[in-house]
Parts: sequence; structure tokens; C-alpha cells
Amino acid sequence: MLQKSRNSGPVAAVRAFAGHPLVQRAFVVGTVAVFVYAAWVGLTQAPPDREMGDVQRIMYAHVPMVQMMLLAGTITFVCSVLYLFRASWKTDALAEASAELALVFGAIGTTLGAIWGRPTWGVYWAWDPRLTTVAILLVALAGYLALRRFVDDPERRAVWASVTGIVIAVDVPVIYFSVKWWKSLHQVQSNPRTVDPDMVHALRWNILAFFLLFIVFLVVRYRIALAARIREVTVPEIEPRGREAVAS
Amino acid sequence: MNTLRTVLAAVGEGRIHGGWEYVKAAYAICWTGLSLYALSLWIRSRRSEGVK
Repeated sequence: MLQKSRNSGPVAAVRAFAGHPLVQRAFVVGTVAVFVYAAWVGLTQAPPDREMGDVQRIMYAHVPMVQMMLLAGTITFVCSVLYLFRASWKTDALAEASAELALVFGAIGTTLGAIWGRPTWGVYWAWDPRLTTVAILLVALAGYLALRRFVDDPERRAVWASVTGIVIAVDVPVIYFSVKWWKSLHQVQSNPRTVDPDMVHALRWNILAFFLLFIVFLVVRYRIALAARIREVTVPEIEPRGREAVAS
Repeated sequence: MNTLRTVLAAVGEGRIHGGWEYVKAAYAICWTGLSLYALSLWIRSRRSEGVK
């Protein structure tokens, strides 16, 4: 079932370069540096909003976090579909990793949104279409990860998780369009033409920072999931004592 | 005149003043949450390498 990787050509060269410990450490250090710079720009350099004042600075963490949640949900969907068409432990491990990241980024991003909502809306939470659809996604993702823990057979678990992952991912576009389809307390998506250029600059740096962090988390979590899957499906070698017992 | 002032004060000017406590709380939760998740990944990664 496990597929062999190609050990030649440019793909192998890129893989070897990316897999070098020094390159990986440099990537992590670079990510932290971009993260610190982006936070500094968002908290000190970007102008306060005309109506929301400094409270609006929560946007530089809230928006990228929720965007990463949607990205992770999309990766889970793609991997789930791919697994059903062509079973591979790699796509199964990536689906598991991305689902966990969607839950983590979504839970923190939603909490930031609730804190932002208190001074601007007057309440931490309202059963508005955007918030409700996000809450549904978070509960569904928690169920998806619980399902993966309850099923012992790796192949059956992967198939059930793939089907569940596809069903859950239907909510991702609904979340995105909820503010356009229904009357929502949550604002519609902004774009660079409607936002101060200094705010756009800060937001882009923060999106880059959170995206780099997302990549680091995804790679590490994928490796953990893949290693666990390989351990599960690998037949253990028979111990010497076991061999004697089998022979007798 | 006093009544008008009272009413206008109650309505406000439609702008939020201050609010840094919300910003600090949001960023503290964000950074703490991500740091804890990074720690959990590091621990699980070490454990996974140890099992190999």
C-alpha cells in the first residue's frame, strides 16, 4: 500500500535540500523572525482604525489564523478525496495533520474574534451565520479526530476518516460565503481597495508569518502521523525466543 | 441644553477609545496557544523518534 518515492531527478534534489537539518533550522529561525517583525508592524506601525481605534489591531492575528483554518480544511478535503481514489498512507497522514491544524488555528482564531467582538459588537458571541458555521466546523473537526482514535484498523480508519473529511469540508466554502449569502453581524471580506495601504502592508506580513508557521507545524505533524502509520502497518520481526517458540 | 448634552454623551461619537486590554489579551492567547501547540508537537516528535 505504501508507495515508493522517486529517488532521482529534480524532485529528489529539492527533497534532499529541504530535508537537510541545517535548511530546516534556517526555515524555522526565518519563520520566527518574520513572525516577530509582522507582530511589530501590526502592533506599532499600522495606523489605528477610524472607528474601532487600536482594537482593530486584533485583525492582524485573527484574519490570518482563520485563513489558515480554511486552508487546512481545504487540504484535508483534497487529501481525503485523493485517498479514496488512490490509497496512500502519505495522503492519510497529511489529512490527519491538516485536520488537527484546522482545529488549532480555528479555535484560537475564533477566540480572538470573540475578544474583538466584545468592544465592537458589545458581545463575545452571537449566533450569527459566520460564527455558527465556524462553530460547526470546529465541533466536526473534533469529531473527526476522535473518530481516528476510536478505529483500530488503519485501512478502515483511513477510509472512514476520508469520507468524514469530505463531508466536513463542505462547511469550508459555506463559512467563506456566509457573510455574503445571509445577513450577518460579521463584516464582509475587505480588499486592498477598501483598506488603508499601511493596514494592507501589516496584514500581508502577518499572513506571510502565519503561513510560514502553518507550513512548519504541518510538516512536523505530518511526519509524526506518517511515522505512526508506518509503525502500525509494519509487521514486527520475530524475536529469537519467538522463533524458537514457532519452531517448537 | 443640559438634556441635549446628556443625550449626546449617551449616544457617543461612534468611536472606540482605548481598548488595548483587548488587544493584549488577544495576542497573549494567540502566542500562548501557538507556543503550547509547538511544544506538544516537539514532545510528540521526540517520542515518535524514540519509538523508531
